[in-house]
Amino acid sequence: MPLTPEEVEEIRKVLGREPTPEELAMFEAQWSEHCSYKSSRLLLKLLPTGGSRVLVGPGRDAPAVEVFPGLAVVFKIESHNHPSAVDPYNGAATGIGGIVRDILTLGAKPVALLDLLYLGELSDPHASWIARGVVKGISDYGNRIGVPTIAGDTWFDSFFNRQPLVNVACVGLARVEDLVGESPRPGDLIVIVGNPTGRDGLLGSSFASKPLGEDVDTDIGAVQVADPLTEKLLIDSLAELVRRKLVRYIKDLGGGGLTTAVSEVAAEFNLGAELDLERLHLRSVLSPLEILVSESQERMMVVVEPEKLPEVVKVFEKYDLQYSVIGIFKGSGRIVARYRGRIVVDIPSKELAKPRAIRRVSKPPAEALRGLTPILELPEVSIAESVLKVLSSPNISSRRWIYEQYDHEVGARTVVKPGHADAAVLRLDAGDRRGIAVKGDANPRYTYLDPFNGAANSVAECFRNLVAVGATPVAIVDELNAGNPEKPEQFWYFEMMLKGLAWMAGELGLPVVGGKVSFYNEDHLGRQVKPTTTIVEVGVVEDVSRVATMDFKEGGSAVVIVGTTFPEIGGSEYLYRVHGLEVGEIPRPRPSSELRNSSLVLELIRKGLALSVHDVGLGGLGAALAEMAVLGGVGVEVDLEKVPCRGCLRVDELVFSETQARYVVEVKASSVDEVLRLARQLGVEVAVAGRTLGSGVYRLKFGGTVAELPLDALRTTYLESLESSFR
Amino acid sequence: MVRVAVIKFPGTNCDEDIVRVFRELDLGVGVENIWYKDFRGASWDAVIIPGGFSYGDWLRAGAIAARTKVMEEVREGVARGLPVLGICNGFQILVEAELLPGALLPNESGRFTCRWIRTVVERPRGPWLTLVPEGSKLDMPVAHAEGRYYVDEVTYSCISSRCPLLRYERGWNPNGSAYDIAGVGSEDGSVLGLMPHPERAVGVLTPRGFNPGGEAILRSIAISLRRGW
Repeated sequence: MPLTPEEVEEIRKVLGREPTPEELAMFEAQWSEHCSYKSSRLLLKLLPTGGSRVLVGPGRDAPAVEVFPGLAVVFKIESHNHPSAVDPYNGAATGIGGIVRDILTLGAKPVALLDLLYLGELSDPHASWIARGVVKGISDYGNRIGVPTIAGDTWFDSFFNRQPLVNVACVGLARVEDLVGESPRPGDLIVIVGNPTGRDGLLGSSFASKPLGEDVDTDIGAVQVADPLTEKLLIDSLAELVRRKLVRYIKDLGGGGLTTAVSEVAAEFNLGAELDLERLHLRSVLSPLEILVSESQERMMVVVEPEKLPEVVKVFEKYDLQYSVIGIFKGSGRIVARYRGRIVVDIPSKELAKPRAIRRVSKPPAEALRGLTPILELPEVSIAESVLKVLSSPNISSRRWIYEQYDHEVGARTVVKPGHADAAVLRLDAGDRRGIAVKGDANPRYTYLDPFNGAANSVAECFRNLVAVGATPVAIVDELNAGNPEKPEQFWYFEMMLKGLAWMAGELGLPVVGGKVSFYNEDHLGRQVKPTTTIVEVGVVEDVSRVATMDFKEGGSAVVIVGTTFPEIGGSEYLYRVHGLEVGEIPRPRPSSELRNSSLVLELIRKGLALSVHDVGLGGLGAALAEMAVLGGVGVEVDLEKVPCRGCLRVDELVFSETQARYVVEVKASSVDEVLRLARQLGVEVAVAGRTLGSGVYRLKFGGTVAELPLDALRTTYLESLESSFR
Repeated sequence: MVRVAVIKFPGTNCDEDIVRVFRELDLGVGVENIWYKDFRGASWDAVIIPGGFSYGDWLRAGAIAARTKVMEEVREGVARGLPVLGICNGFQILVEAELLPGALLPNESGRFTCRWIRTVVERPRGPWLTLVPEGSKLDMPVAHAEGRYYVDEVTYSCISSRCPLLRYERGWNPNGSAYDIAGVGSEDGSVLGLMPHPERAVGVLTPRGFNPGGEAILRSIAISLRRGW
């Protein structure tokens, strides 16, 4: 987004003169929505960000939380929605590159990637092209840098046919004492290392801060090109610099390029900087303006004390990395850039780094009433056929076609792998029993129908996914994908999502330690894509050999339903897949039930009483039971009359309601009494509603049998639906 | 203590995993991660070339690393009987360097594939398979885009009667490899290359329904070197 006339006027006032073209470009980059959060900053203050585990909160390139004494997890999420719409392969790949570099800035070792993809319908050729390119981009980049992609979320919806949401997250590990983040001091050197700077990605963050043009080809120059080999060398060389304590501070050259990197550090530490732009290593001849705002990838800024420079240089040379010492931090508070001796920029760093926050107008659109529409009459349908239809939904069926393209094993930490459980589990190190669990979630349909409750449900869903493997959730990062903040009826969705997130995070006691906001997710017709709150949570696992997966383990076990089912099929996958409706009240967030029910599930896993666990989410109980049966190759029979419920009038409500705070747990028949006793103690409503079978059958009863399906049919549907739509 | 070098090229990414798995299994072997510029062949008892994307897989997987000076040193070591193991990209490098027969082509699916598979070992011999009886079943994960083994008929009839082989079990070939070949050794077994990752197939990393197939290979080299291979 170019600067507005008012902003240009403000810049004149700050400088007391006409800005140079270079200065204007720097302001445009730094004051873009992407870099400055000017439309969201006031509302972001609502988020709970503190907690006893929080070591580094929002503000740095990435936050850090202490997961075990002396051990930190550094994690962060980022969106690359706009670049991925124009060039899916490079857009997604450079998203991975950027988020990994954010983790590196704190001196952490990146150990996991997550990809959260909200894509178009695969029957649409353009959407299919985007989807394939995005997956290939993540695969090629993530695999080459040796960071496993271990979890994520995928959603297919026609709203995303032209403008996908590509959210990626990275998780790193570091010893607390090794976290990088000393204050840079006057006299410290500014070293840029990595790829030579080229003309790619010029003002990319400005491009990401406006709606997608009708002819996306004209924006192609704003997309950067990915070079994973250089990224891998950056990872290796920075690890060495950090281990040897040779650097004072590290910053990614991401959105806004050199301008953002220098001005944010200078502003944060009340410093100024002097830069000699011609010293930067370049790919082609660039003007000083281009040098300042290029977003060429795989570059980092390293702040070094002068006497340590020779050692630092030796490390870069070992890895054949190009670098240049382009300037020095000063105590002046001004950023001065020279090009061949001529001063092209002289601005106060504080004014550049933070434009004034804008209070945006927010107004609920008429469309929001869809989320209040009661669902009165639905035609009778076959439950068995509906189970198959729901299970075949690309939003539910196995994502094997995607995750097998990712190396999810490199690092030799992945204990619970994609497709086996509700979350991925990593051990901290070889031979270490301690671990972490990670997962990411969103439901664009929920946030579209009811942004407040939808965002809250994303937090809860992710929370349950961690609990279901036996992890205690400790922190959140979020990505709010919204429409055009200048349009009140789109900004309303952002405001509501943020408030829902803030409320639920607070209720569950989880700090939101970092995140991103992505605005202007509109298609070429000015229609916002489904506003989407993406949540990534990290949980602590005390013993990775005692985690739960979701595959039924054996016949003859009791199937225990944890939590109460309500008649909540509004906004459900069932309502959409089977009845073609995308309306209704979405399931209510129930934070106190979440906390209570999770305490039981964690206790069952800790005591070794849970053979398998699965949270009930999209597709309801019907889909959850089918997934457990298919993955375990074990049949199941459940009597729906025994499922704890309130107010359910119809069988399909019991099978497909997406009520929150529920789990299915498989327990040995001999431990049922103990499980029920624990549930009573904790005040959790549970029931033994069925058993696993020795035969390959999936059966739901309500009085008589209401659905009976051979496991083979379910397996084919579950495992091959997505794959066949990519063929 | 006997010493094993893990050679790291630009883009290698499984080097640390191997060092850590030796420690995890407590194998009593000194293992060091050696940057390719610093490798000197004479000072090591065995060499492992790990997986990853050396030189970003530019040209062909393994093609550039195979032509580096360090591989000349490895070649000289092989002539002296130095045990060398190539895993995934390491296998691709050994094949490109013509230290092992055949070629590794892009997967039949055209896609990178990461999944657990089952293999069977034939004619185990040499330091890497000391503890592996004929017909052993070793489960491990693969993770590669160019792992489709190709070999002409003449060479195949030679290796299939003389060399150690790892074959994917029927139905578990992930990439369309000829004759289901997952790995191949030199006649005496001192050089071994395989696409699956033994360092990822140990203990708690093994999913339900599979065996930790990497442990036998790693324990084999340790015991072979300690006995004095």
